[in-house]
Amino acid sequence: MSADNNLNDPLIYVRALHFAATIAATGVVWFIAFIGEPAFRDAKQDTGVTKLVRNRFAWIAWIGLLAAVLSGIPWLVLTAESMSGQPLSELSSQGVLWTVLSQTDFGRDWLLRFVMACVLGALFVRFLSAEGARSLWLKAVTVILAAALVGSLAWAGHAIGGRGVEGLLHPAADVLHLIAAAAWAGALVPFALLLTMTRVDAASLTAARTATLRFSTLGIVSVATILFTGIVNTCYLAGSIPALVGTDYGHLLLIKIALFLGMVGIAGINWLRLTPRLIQNADVVAAQNARRQLSCNATVEAIMSAAIIAIVAVLGTLPPASHAHHHAASGAIPADATFQHIHGENGMADVMIEPGRVGNANATIRLWNNDLETLDAREVTVTLTAPTAGKPTTRVASRDPDGAWHVDGIELTQPGNWTVTIEVGLGDNGRLMLKAPIVIEPEH
Amino acid sequence: MRTPTAIATFGFIFLATTAAQAHAFLDHANPLVGSTVASAPHELSLSFTQNLEPAFSSVEVTGPNGARVDAGKPQISGNTMRVGLKAAGPGTYHVHWHALSVDTHTTQGSFTFHVGGQ
Repeated sequence: MSADNNLNDPLIYVRALHFAATIAATGVVWFIAFIGEPAFRDAKQDTGVTKLVRNRFAWIAWIGLLAAVLSGIPWLVLTAESMSGQPLSELSSQGVLWTVLSQTDFGRDWLLRFVMACVLGALFVRFLSAEGARSLWLKAVTVILAAALVGSLAWAGHAIGGRGVEGLLHPAADVLHLIAAAAWAGALVPFALLLTMTRVDAASLTAARTATLRFSTLGIVSVATILFTGIVNTCYLAGSIPALVGTDYGHLLLIKIALFLGMVGIAGINWLRLTPRLIQNADVVAAQNARRQLSCNATVEAIMSAAIIAIVAVLGTLPPASHAHHHAASGAIPADATFQHIHGENGMADVMIEPGRVGNANATIRLWNNDLETLDAREVTVTLTAPTAGKPTTRVASRDPDGAWHVDGIELTQPGNWTVTIEVGLGDNGRLMLKAPIVIEPEH
Repeated sequence: MRTPTAIATFGFIFLATTAAQAHAFLDHANPLVGSTVASAPHELSLSFTQNLEPAFSSVEVTGPNGARVDAGKPQISGNTMRVGLKAAGPGTYHVHWHALSVDTHTTQGSFTFHVGGQ
């Protein structure tokens, strides 16, 4: 499935909304706890503006949490439809939704996340007030729960299901990636709001300075975490440079990485040029200009992070680049084709003959090594032997740009159990022979 | 870390990593895909590249006469699916599997194996 065709999938839009809402809710919680309240405390200020800023933060938190819960419902329903193959209208009558919720990892994750969202909502009632945000215990529990809400999204994506080291390392990296992304990207809007709404007076400037310094620290830790965990995720999901540059998944991932690097570039300007201007005391006008520029940059970064979230929403619905080719071979076989997977000691082949019936047909062969990476082959010959004794047909295959080998115009003269033999000339002058029966149906 | 060193390190990590399998594909089967076995097996075992969701994964096996020979719902544990087979004599057996991996993606595939000297 290409990214273009995929854009008709409503799951993309639901995923985008859910990611954005969860990141917004988590980000504002972390911002209030680690940046906003300490900044107001340093400014020794509890004025009308402070109350207004707190009020805006509360709106972001409540709307984010509510949107996360509401968008979680269609995500569950669409996933249940995909899992079961049942149409939407049949899902509730056949108990599919409950089966998904109670018997699958995704469903159990969704139930847990729903409970976490409800508890978070209960905590918000007090946490989002001026008094509540000063309570250390309430702050700690709310921050941890918000992180868990966004981190548990890892169980709804490609990071889980691996085996061995990957089964531990990949989900752990993804959880940290999500939390760090929410802490940084989700805090950009509150940061821009705080800088914009604080008034041009000494106390407000103090609040803006404290917030900027603290946001810089949060940003550096978050970017480092995103970078490290992003490399781990990319290694597992892209697998190789050719897969990264040769698939829809890889192209989108590269755009995402470019946007991230763009955000890091802007953050670098903020950190190295604007923050020093803001915190110096000599020139108040220069400090206020720096504050305005920082607010503007944070808004641009927030827009870029929204684009990244949109890309993430699409990526989750595409097969990862590391095995998009494999998915195409064994997961999307045309209805009129015959398919055979042949294992050998040093490699394997997926052979597809289309149409898989008597008459003129085309053969497509995909070759893998035992790590499921594309086999490095110099030449491939295909031999088809009819069920009854007769002269076998041997043809040299040509290589397609996507790495598959192709033979057109094969004459299949009779139905039954044919034998297909694939001879592969390997890059290191070795040879590989794979042989298996393949069923050819009678002519229509 | 200097920039070229950082790029080289990134490239090394990237190239040295084995590809992950985020959808469940058939890794191997017993009887082997496309193989010929002397007598009808009592069980078919399929191993996949990823853990499966038992509630939505299944396998169908038809014997030489086209009738179902699998014993119904397969036993699924981790990445392995097993199903008992009824004896149906020599000939070609068709296997069609449907797998839902724990990351919610579905895959399917089919293959044959042969019993007797055919």
